[in-house]
Amino acid sequence: MFLKVQLSWNVIIPAESLDTKGLMLQKSIITRLLDDFSTKKATKENGYFLAVTTLDNIGEGRVRQHTGDVLFPVLFTCITFRPYRGEILEGVVHKILKHGVFLRCGPVENIYLSNQKMSDYKYVPGENPIFMNDKLSKVEKGVAVRFSVIGTKYIETEKEFQAVVSLEGDFLGPVS
Amino acid sequence: MAEKGGKEFSLPKGKSSLKTPASVKGKDDSSAKSKGGRKVQFDSEDSLESKINMSSKSDGKTDTPVAKGDWGKGGKGGKSPIRKEASALELKIEQELPKNAKCLMDCEAAAILQGIQEQMVVLSEDPTIKIPTAFDRGLQYAKSGCHYTNPQSVRRVLEPLEKHGVSVSEMCVIANLCPESSDEVFALIPSLKGKKDKLTNPLKDTLSELAKLKQRT
Repeated sequence: MFLKVQLSWNVIIPAESLDTKGLMLQKSIITRLLDDFSTKKATKENGYFLAVTTLDNIGEGRVRQHTGDVLFPVLFTCITFRPYRGEILEGVVHKILKHGVFLRCGPVENIYLSNQKMSDYKYVPGENPIFMNDKLSKVEKGVAVRFSVIGTKYIETEKEFQAVVSLEGDFLGPVS
Repeated sequence: MAEKGGKEFSLPKGKSSLKTPASVKGKDDSSAKSKGGRKVQFDSEDSLESKINMSSKSDGKTDTPVAKGDWGKGGKGGKSPIRKEASALELKIEQELPKNAKCLMDCEAAAILQGIQEQMVVLSEDPTIKIPTAFDRGLQYAKSGCHYTNPQSVRRVLEPLEKHGVSVSEMCVIANLCPESSDEVFALIPSLKGKKDKLTNPLKDTLSELAKLKQRT
């Protein structure tokens, strides 16, 4: 699910980037914010950070002792993407193993669909293994699949989400 | 905060609560692994330490949705995954949503992200401006899941469903599904099944309105 989130962060402007001209200061605050935004990549609550849409408010700067850097509280709105349990999403298959397949869905790299969660599909071994059901519907590399999300997990050290998903239920499976 | 959050996530729920006592008292370790997490908690010695652990565990649990618990079980691999089916896969986004956040439909996200993409030529001229790595993949996903050209009218069509008890997140999932029938909606969003009687007719109207907005490609 895409989210629109308003966040309040502190942006630190190094003393040497401070400028007497107001516009330049604003610019360095924005560049620094975008920089922090990209570096942060994702959080557990908000999901993956995609883009800042508006800068809503820049608060009064506070000079930090010793360094002379200035800290500005900044209020901004951004777009994020986070997988949720119970959600229906579409992903593209990128790896097929005997016991299940891995999919990609937007910024989420590792989505696992176990063969136990698509019990009507059978593993067909070969050079390019696939999963296929009686109706000849195929789960193969590069195919888009609609699935429901059973669980999600956020890995703090990698700043990545992982999800386990299922095809059990009607209206789920490969989409043309 | 960071440490706690990390702990909660990097380990399955049952295990994480057990970790400290297990590492202190070796004999707990084996029983903890063979049995489910929580029961062992109560079986094990009621030393002060395990009590502390239990309380910290329940604290963590208040903001821990079912999802993580299930993931934990799955991750452990010991439990049969079929058991999870017992608890319906209900959307609980509203409860998990951080404050100041709201759900967007794929088509809304696509419109906003595409607007930024159009500025990219200018933006990329300035090497100091960094674009998040997830941006492109997010845009790509939003575009692939975008079945409607005009997000505003999609919202307008879906909003009447709100007074029939459909939450904003459910509305967004409906828009993202681009469903052809109300059966499809009820099959994919189990949380709406309870309201099926009241919802079927308004939903049918909504879906036929939505169909008119569909992108002709």
